[in-house]
Amino acid sequence: MIEEIKNIAGKLLKNGDIGLFIGYGRNSLGDVIPVFIQKEKDVKTLVWGSDCFYNLTTYLTDRDITRLQEGSIGILLKGCDQKALKVLISESQVRRERIKIIGVTCDGMKNPDGSILSKCETCDVHDPDPALCDAVIGGKSTKKEAKDDFADVAAVDALDSSARREHWNRYFKRCIRCYACRNVCPLCYCKECVLDEHNPQWVSPSPSADNNMFFHIIRAYHLTGRCIDCGECERVCPVGIPLRRINRKMIQAVRESFDFEAGKDQKTKSPLTWFRQEDPEDFF
Amino acid sequence: MKIVGFLCNWCSYAGADLAGISRLQYPADIRIIRVPCSGRVNPMLILKCFQKGIDGVLVSGCHPGDCHYQEGNYYTRRRMLMLRSLLDYFGIDRRRFHVSWVSASEGVKWADVVKKVVEDVRAATEEGTRKVTGTEQIDHDRGN
Repeated sequence: MIEEIKNIAGKLLKNGDIGLFIGYGRNSLGDVIPVFIQKEKDVKTLVWGSDCFYNLTTYLTDRDITRLQEGSIGILLKGCDQKALKVLISESQVRRERIKIIGVTCDGMKNPDGSILSKCETCDVHDPDPALCDAVIGGKSTKKEAKDDFADVAAVDALDSSARREHWNRYFKRCIRCYACRNVCPLCYCKECVLDEHNPQWVSPSPSADNNMFFHIIRAYHLTGRCIDCGECERVCPVGIPLRRINRKMIQAVRESFDFEAGKDQKTKSPLTWFRQEDPEDFF
Repeated sequence: MKIVGFLCNWCSYAGADLAGISRLQYPADIRIIRVPCSGRVNPMLILKCFQKGIDGVLVSGCHPGDCHYQEGNYYTRRRMLMLRSLLDYFGIDRRRFHVSWVSASEGVKWADVVKKVVEDVRAATEEGTRKVTGTEQIDHDRGN
């Protein structure tokens, strides 16, 4: 598989179809890192394996990269990453004609100890979408599709109101407001984030449990109907806050109330930007 | 108790005005903020209220189909539904956040809505569910 990726990326760079290729490489310690390749001879540094869990779509909206790169960008994407790309396209953040997509089949990413990542267990897009890709590598995934039962969300929902508060406070107490979750998120692309605003200041940046809770409410709300559950936020969190458990609540709520799932197609925008007359309003 | 009400200019605010003109009695715990449309109510405003230690929030607008701007309240409906499930998930008592449709002619309904909201918020407070904030000092808050 990796040879095919190198071939295609090399060819695209050589022909000048793209000026930059974003893929996976390894650092000197052997860990997987994102690599940005501009010369054909460098494609040999590309790697592919069961630890390539990064969602590279984050870099498509990175202004430091898009500003320097005038030509098209090539990118290696797994099926799940493509969901993020579809949301970005639907929100006009990425022009489809500016990118060349190499889709790659994924059998589920693995933790260092060999166990499969929890997000991969409930994933339903192991195969890249051929309609979106310029090239697809790897045949059919061997991993079976699993039904997502939102057990983690249900466990919190089962608690009563004050117990839920305690549950989250335990985590929010340790949040240091590094904003790594925001920075890594492929869909948090605003140039000026409300969290950085001082006038008006929507939420105080000082890390107290209360402030942190409001920060996390704001973050989750801004991803409502957009989050594709790539789990990058949870992965980068230095203090281990289970952020997917928050995002998935909203995924479930959007699914139940509006029958909508983010990242399914590149035309439909976030469900908060349109409506149906028969929308539920049972609590009004 | 302090409750903030975000009222749309065209329906609910006029409805509240009618309640006043009709001399209907309702609890004085609500502070009304007039907005051009319930669709103007950024969920961040509601979060800011809670951060500031407000006990409850009410958002009120025109009935679906009656929006002065044709469709503002349909967006409100979606947003508030999502906001509520999120607040609930974080353990903010669901009785502290209300949304209602009150038209300009529904002065009586407005009085009833406020009574109901105040009752709910009071029940939440008395049951000892903590205020949304105020459990610890918020420092460095510039008071915007």
